[in-house]
Amino acid sequence: MSERVVVTGLGAVSSLGTGAHVFARAVREGRSGVAPIRGFDTTGFPYTYGGEVADFEPERILHRLETGRWGRSALFAASAARLAVEDSGIDPDRISGEVTGSAMGTTFGESAVIEALTGQSVEGGMKALDPALVPQAPAGRIAAAVNAELALTGEAHTIATACSASNYALGYAYDMIRTGEAAFMLAGGADSVNRWSHAGFYRLGALAESVCRPFDAGRSGILTAEGGVALFLETLDGAVARGARVYAEVLGYGVNCDAKHPVAPDPTSIAACVRAAHQDAGVRPADIDYICAHGTGTPTNDATEVAAMRTVFGDALPPISSIKSMIGHTMGAASGFGALICCMALHEGFLPPTANVTEPDPALGDGLDCVPGTGRAASPQIVQNNGFAFGGNNAITVLGRVA
Amino acid sequence: MTPAQAQAQAPAQAQAPATTIVAPLVITGCGVVSPAGHGLAPLTSAGGPPAADLDAIGGDFPPVALAAAPDLRVAESLGTKGIRSLDRTTLLALVAAHNALGTLGAPLADEERARTGVVIGSSTGSVRSSSEFSRETLVRDKPYLVRANRFPSAVMNFCAGQLAIWNSLRGVNATIADGRVSGLAAVRYARNAIARGRVDRALVGAAEELCAESAWAWHHSGALAPGTAVGEGAAVFVVETPAGAAAAGRTPLAELLACEVGTPGSGGMRASLAGCVDRALRRSGVSAADVDTVSLGATGIRGLRAAEEDAVRAALRRPPADGPTPHWIRPAARLGESYSASGALQIAALLAAWQAPDAAGGSVAVVTSLGDDGHAGCLVMRRPQPPSTGH
Repeated sequence: MSERVVVTGLGAVSSLGTGAHVFARAVREGRSGVAPIRGFDTTGFPYTYGGEVADFEPERILHRLETGRWGRSALFAASAARLAVEDSGIDPDRISGEVTGSAMGTTFGESAVIEALTGQSVEGGMKALDPALVPQAPAGRIAAAVNAELALTGEAHTIATACSASNYALGYAYDMIRTGEAAFMLAGGADSVNRWSHAGFYRLGALAESVCRPFDAGRSGILTAEGGVALFLETLDGAVARGARVYAEVLGYGVNCDAKHPVAPDPTSIAACVRAAHQDAGVRPADIDYICAHGTGTPTNDATEVAAMRTVFGDALPPISSIKSMIGHTMGAASGFGALICCMALHEGFLPPTANVTEPDPALGDGLDCVPGTGRAASPQIVQNNGFAFGGNNAITVLGRVA
Repeated sequence: MTPAQAQAQAPAQAQAPATTIVAPLVITGCGVVSPAGHGLAPLTSAGGPPAADLDAIGGDFPPVALAAAPDLRVAESLGTKGIRSLDRTTLLALVAAHNALGTLGAPLADEERARTGVVIGSSTGSVRSSSEFSRETLVRDKPYLVRANRFPSAVMNFCAGQLAIWNSLRGVNATIADGRVSGLAAVRYARNAIARGRVDRALVGAAEELCAESAWAWHHSGALAPGTAVGEGAAVFVVETPAGAAAAGRTPLAELLACEVGTPGSGGMRASLAGCVDRALRRSGVSAADVDTVSLGATGIRGLRAAEEDAVRAALRRPPADGPTPHWIRPAARLGESYSASGALQIAALLAAWQAPDAAGGSVAVVTSLGDDGHAGCLVMRRPQPPSTGH
């Protein structure tokens, strides 16, 4: 059994607003969600900008969860999933009555909870930890929150493959629908801005001061960011039968591991991952109309990523842009936001831009179209969404318009 | 009602997958590090684990019982280079993986390693690493004066990445953080990756370290049953197809049949777990009456222990006072509560029971897992048949 798998609902809780359509409009206009960080005390940090979800009000989105019992990342995930289900137009009772599960990616899990507990421990020792906060710490609560909010009985996997995790989640969810293991799946990711990852990226020399400029000669690093994103997946036959709006078809994916270095990416391994994704999707390089880059804005990532793409695509490199220029690096949610914008690009007919490009880096070679500035009207048919991570965890998804 | 009418009425077309019988996979290698020691054999010996040697771990522990793995023998497995920046979760997993690969008879060839994945269950990575890293931002003169070389191990996929690096495993590399169900969820994830041909085989397991942070968390939660120690450990298995094992001349230690996981929805945790057991049995093509051994997971958790045993009895249709009682294995009673590693250690305990000299003759077992809020899982395993009578 092999069903065609489509995306019929999208949900986003982001620095650019709540809801997939609000998010996509802002991306298309090249707007920035970056601002001075308010989620933790930035005193003493040289760089203090990030992409936060300002004024997150989960109680306005969620129907079932008691928000006080869940961490910030879990609430991002559950909110995005609820929004995706609403966007899909399906009866929520129907999905809770059938085999429906979730797969949600994350890098730092419930980092805001862990940080709060650490603060209590520094103040008063571990005796002083708040017993009500402790149960919110495990990362597995992120997907568990999705299932609890939607009263689902299927599997609930929190996939912690760092910054490619949402693509891992989307790939797994695609397999579950394709093989009939599940009737519906929610796939995406969630992460929270936190002090320790901000410190860690700063010390690695990977943090930008206040502007993320992927592919620019003056790019200096990432901006730490947060959010939740979810895609609602079902079979094409099922979507057609219920008259659903189909954003895109999931055509396939590839995953592999560099197995070389904990933080430095490897272009050969990334190229192998692209080829695996293309093979799984049944497409050739010439079929790809757009690449949603991992595009973190560090000198190393963008150079490695472009080199790897050139290995596969040769001189015919499709337009490749990075939405991290606008929302920063949402970590485990990053490739989920990438997948979401790919769906919107296919459905509405545009290419998402790379903001903040003033001088494209000549070292990245000729013929690099990073869609600078604002979105471009176009009619992409098949697109590729890149996700890479610490640990050499590469994951690439391929999506297409339903013909 | 005709079948067509039944289907038209039914949200139950979603039940169709539940009737599909899965193709078995096999375990061909196994490595275990637990409070009982290294390997399978110590898992079946009587008595509790030796007193925890906390000096090797360090930290300010709460007044609760603790069960630590004895000497990890890191140098024997990994040598002495490149190990200083490795956290205990990663060391436990690396040693278990080394031992698992060592049981294969011959090392994996390089082309086999390119097609081998890693699927590891984990609670929140190394809790101690992320907590200590977070702590540094608060106690140093400047918040950014953290040790950069400690940052990677504060990220949850560090352990799986290191398993790949140390063993040159270039396939899918997944970290599954499903709380207490992580060990079984890793098996389910790996089953899909192998069945879809994304990799030929995978190192599958879970790891959990004992540290002051998690011990205090258990202490504050009040969730541990009286007498239950906070434990730790890692178990890693080489999982592949029967055909792949046969072609390579590797002998199966066990067959992995269906693995089903789920959440309660609007129902209760007993129904959630009983549903997993029932579905896993049907998808394994075995009946409840075939099950003679149950490897339980929630033994050390208040409230969950009774729920798990009730759910299993209900699913096996064996009320407490009726019919043959399966052989119950409760590894947590001896090894302590090891949270995300519990499922993997339950699989190991079952293999140990099957390999024990006085092993009973049973052949079909279920491994169950029950976590917070009713997150549940069930894996069906079968003892390999002798080749002469094989299926």
